[in-house]
Amino acid sequence: MPQSSPKAAVLLEAAVKYLESELMPTLDGYYRFQTRVTVNVLNTVRRELELRTAQAEAERSRLVAILGHDGEVEALSVELAEKIRVGAISIDDPSLRAHVRQSLADALAINNPKWMTR
Amino acid sequence: MTNEDFSARLQAAIARHVGAPGTVHDLNRLTGGANKTTWSFDAEVAGAREQFILQLASPRANDESNPLAGVSPHLIANEDARLMIAAVKAGVPAPRVRAILKDDDGLGPGYVTERVAGETLATKILREERFAGARATMAKQCGTILAAIHRIPVAEVPFLMKLTPLEHIAAQRRIIEFYGFHSPALELGLKWAEQHAPRNGRHTVVHGDFRAGNFIVGEEGIRCVLDWEIGQSGDPMQDLGWVCVKTWRFGGKKPVGGFGTREDLFEAYEKASGHSVDPAHVRFWEAYGSVRWGIGCFSMGTRGTEEVGIERCAIGRRVEEPLWDFLNLIEGHD
Repeated sequence: MPQSSPKAAVLLEAAVKYLESELMPTLDGYYRFQTRVTVNVLNTVRRELELRTAQAEAERSRLVAILGHDGEVEALSVELAEKIRVGAISIDDPSLRAHVRQSLADALAINNPKWMTR
Repeated sequence: MTNEDFSARLQAAIARHVGAPGTVHDLNRLTGGANKTTWSFDAEVAGAREQFILQLASPRANDESNPLAGVSPHLIANEDARLMIAAVKAGVPAPRVRAILKDDDGLGPGYVTERVAGETLATKILREERFAGARATMAKQCGTILAAIHRIPVAEVPFLMKLTPLEHIAAQRRIIEFYGFHSPALELGLKWAEQHAPRNGRHTVVHGDFRAGNFIVGEEGIRCVLDWEIGQSGDPMQDLGWVCVKTWRFGGKKPVGGFGTREDLFEAYEKASGHSVDPAHVRFWEAYGSVRWGIGCFSMGTRGTEEVGIERCAIGRRVEEPLWDFLNLIEGHD
């Protein structure tokens, strides 16, 4: 089946543009603030659609290398978290540190890219 | 309850606890948090018009069916008020409590304090020229105020939850276990905290949320310290670390709340308390504070879907900000 058109990213851009340039100027106080938050949330969704697939594949590869076996990215991540909790992997392990740093950077690239450059 | 009923009950409560006639003017709802709602109003008391704040506990706060009740510190309304009364007595600029509501006031649990004029928005305090003098003095003031908070006799506030650093961390673990949140970054943070937790600290009253955003500020500096509801007793250095957590710098460059230096904070604290400050000990609480705020963001974004509005959802997506800061802090990139 051909992909529906316009694509999701275009729909989100249109929604953001309406909220920001048409609706927000008419609002103030509580409603203006809530609309600003809504715009931010929609931009987060747009960045997630754009970035997450490639990030998840790279994350899976890093987890496979650390844990030594294959699996789905979410399950591998839960397994790694558990290994850290019980002390089966040292928190000073350089590959663990590098993985966590990259995973946080990936999440921030979606959720709030400005945070890393403050 | 209609607005008229609410206002009438408030007037009766003021007349009863503060002074007659208690006629209420300019009643405005300021905020509605998950745990409490805040109202601003004026009232006629003994021939003068006075300014007040009303805080009411939300029906859900301290709900016994909440499976996380009692896991981490959270004061009920009259304890919150009693802690502020003890703080004022110890010389802390805390809100002055004028009434603790009783069941037959018909307003639910809550209290009335004097209203202090000033600015609470940290971004304004950090950027506006009129606060330049305040910014220059606030880190020192934080040191002096914290020394006073840590002098409050624990025996005067026996209801405070007592937590050693390791118990504090264990409580955070119970929260993420309850939500089933499995994140390598968070586990790294908690494990680091367990390995580095101070084991030889003092045990005092701890404010628990002493930071920019919870200060009422005038041009001369901090006028009042707000939000005592997670008061607890434990390692006093927790408060010195929390005020330095990067999230609470609100984009400001300086480590103490975006406005001041650690040297000013520590020096003033040492002078006022007579206790020396070990910067590494405070760093622990700053780093662990970032982890704790990451967990706070997560639970705010996740808590029962019926109470998670758009703002709460957005906070849920801020988990990685303090965890990123934490990693930079322990790896020396601060």
